[in-house]
Amino acid sequence: MTSRETGSVQISRAEATEPLLVVDNLSTHFPTERGVVRAVDGVSLSIKRGESLGIVGESGSGKTVLSRSIMGLLPAAAIRSGSVRFAGTEILDLPAKRMRHLWGAEMAMVFQNPLNSLNPLMKIGKQITEPLKLHLNMNRSHAKATAVRLLKDVHIPEAEQRLNQYPHELSGGMRQRVMIAIALACGPTVLFADEPTTALDVTVQSQILDVINEQRTDRNMSVILVTHDLGVVAGHTDHVAVMYGGKLVERAPTRTLFANMKMPYTKSLMRSIPKLDNPSHTRLATIPGRPPDLVNPPDGCRFAPRCAYAQDRCHDEEPPLAVADDPDHYYACWYPVGSPEFEARDAELRAAGDPRVDAGATI
Amino acid sequence: MRYWLTRLGTSVLLLLTVSALAFGAMNILGDPLFNILGPVALDVDNPESVELIQAAEEQYNLDDPLPIRWALWLGDFVTGDFGVQFSEDGEPPVRDLISERLPRTLQLLVMAQVLAALIAIPWALWTASRPNSKVDRASTITSFLFIAIPSFALAVMLKWALSIKLSIFPLAYVTNDTFWERSFQMLLPAITLALPAAAIYQRLLRTDLITTLQEDFILTARSKGVSRRSVLFKHALRSSLFSFVTIFAINTGALIGGALVVEQIFLIPGLGRAIVEAILREDFPVVLAIVMIIAFAFVILNLIVDLIYSLIDPRVRSS
Ligand SMILES: Nc1ncnc2c1ncn2[C@@H]1O[C@H](COP(=O)(O)OP(=O)(O)OP(=O)(O)O)[C@@H](O)[C@H]1O
Ligand SMILES: [Mg+2]
Repeated sequence: MTSRETGSVQISRAEATEPLLVVDNLSTHFPTERGVVRAVDGVSLSIKRGESLGIVGESGSGKTVLSRSIMGLLPAAAIRSGSVRFAGTEILDLPAKRMRHLWGAEMAMVFQNPLNSLNPLMKIGKQITEPLKLHLNMNRSHAKATAVRLLKDVHIPEAEQRLNQYPHELSGGMRQRVMIAIALACGPTVLFADEPTTALDVTVQSQILDVINEQRTDRNMSVILVTHDLGVVAGHTDHVAVMYGGKLVERAPTRTLFANMKMPYTKSLMRSIPKLDNPSHTRLATIPGRPPDLVNPPDGCRFAPRCAYAQDRCHDEEPPLAVADDPDHYYACWYPVGSPEFEARDAELRAAGDPRVDAGATI
Repeated sequence: MRYWLTRLGTSVLLLLTVSALAFGAMNILGDPLFNILGPVALDVDNPESVELIQAAEEQYNLDDPLPIRWALWLGDFVTGDFGVQFSEDGEPPVRDLISERLPRTLQLLVMAQVLAALIAIPWALWTASRPNSKVDRASTITSFLFIAIPSFALAVMLKWALSIKLSIFPLAYVTNDTFWERSFQMLLPAITLALPAAAIYQRLLRTDLITTLQEDFILTARSKGVSRRSVLFKHALRSSLFSFVTIFAINTGALIGGALVVEQIFLIPGLGRAIVEAILREDFPVVLAIVMIIAFAFVILNLIVDLIYSLIDPRVRSS
């Protein structure tokens, strides 16, 4: 009951003493004509069973590459290093042949665009039963019954009829529910959701997130949620990881982060902060200036060239991840929000009416 | 339903246009009387010749204006009377000639297309799953080689190597042999036609497969744990078949042209040889009948292609 044969990898679910998923110093590089793109650079994080982790960051900061690197679903050219331990087993160096037994079974992914993520030429039913037959060796009728149950789990009406429909016969929201049903099919322990609601209507967005949350509780499943939506971060995640230029720059329990964010980057990203008890759909703010070049990243703190609070040290020395008052709160900044240097500079900027300091935003 | 009725209507219109153009061209560009009678047609001072001329004009309605002659010919044609050959003694009637020759060419084309598809699909899957690898680059060169070699050269080379030197394939096509023997005799000619066709199909299918493999739903399939092989066969191939199916049908026309050459070199008395001979003799009824058969084949092929589209893609079906 506690272990499952996954190829020759023994995954023991219950006795795991460490968190379900431990990512240590993970880097993903893409060799290109321009040079090596360091899309993910030394990221460490972990997630416990049943927890949900939000990953935020501006566009191009490496959120998608990070989640696909953890799962091992990258283009052949990608080079990964570091360590990813899943339920106590190192999976980074496993070949795709062996990873296949985890994909869909233990780890599943929901993608951003439900319009393109389903096979347009295959009936919904077949797309849901495919992993069931593959991983759980279900026969046809058992798989079909399970598919109907899954569709009901994600609140799709007339589930039986849907099995014989094609994706183009469903709305975007319905398709994303189908994607979630497919991802949940074999009862994975980790669900990656990469901006699962970005392509959907605002009204549908919260329904989809509710479905994911509901299933997370029901199945005691971990969720890694990549999102641009502050409301989602605030309302649906236990922890938040903030990415910038391929690096993880701040990480904290969600409440701690909103109450006490340390990175000026995080602060400018979350300028318009939604109320925790009333999550609205608020996009992350865009920050003036260009994201760093991932082939030749700047020395020192990668955010320094765009940071209103940067000082000489920021441009020369790269800040390590430091622990804040809350032992679960890490940040990579020499002069974090609340430090005397920060406050002095903040007063200066305010006096000068610098537009990078949001007059109204007090944390 | 309405869609198919319109399709039928346009098909008929197309066939009529082709027949009118071909009929008109043959009659305007050539002199039918001369082609029927030979030098006698010019010998208008001789009363015997004049009698023959009048008989011929009557038989072939040559005094009537062109549109009427076309209508008369068409009337006969659709009721299965393809007329007599102009040249020699008019034997056998065009219809018999066609029904003797057509099956051979048809078999050659079907064998060639089946072989081409059987070669092209695995070839494309194999190369598309490892784009720009050494294997893929070698395959690109090979395919362009096959496309670039003229069909007569390929035919001569294959015949010399495989039939004459190695004696793997028989040298001659024997019309009296059994069906299976004749099929075997046709194998090398079919391969000759199939290789360049397969190369073209492979290029196309490979490109489409590579595009499909970048699609999001392929990543979804992989994230479900589907093996690379099943991703290729069950998810990528079907989505990539559209241009292949289209070119497969269009290329049939080119293969008919290729069949002319190949039948000549491998001595197969098929439609290809019949049309070469008929054109050289300006034997209008034979040429017209063959032109119409080819046009008809295209119409049918097009309908089949549409049918295949709708079988492949449910979105085509519902629109
Ligand atoms: N296959 C690849 N080859 C080269 N570079 C890549 C590849 N895939 C991603 N990158 C680069 O890695 C960086 C991170 O991309 P990623 O898609 O992870 O960003 P993201 O945070 O998900 O952005 P968004 O919010 O826009 O989705 C980008 O600069 C991108 O150009
Ligand atoms: Mg992304």
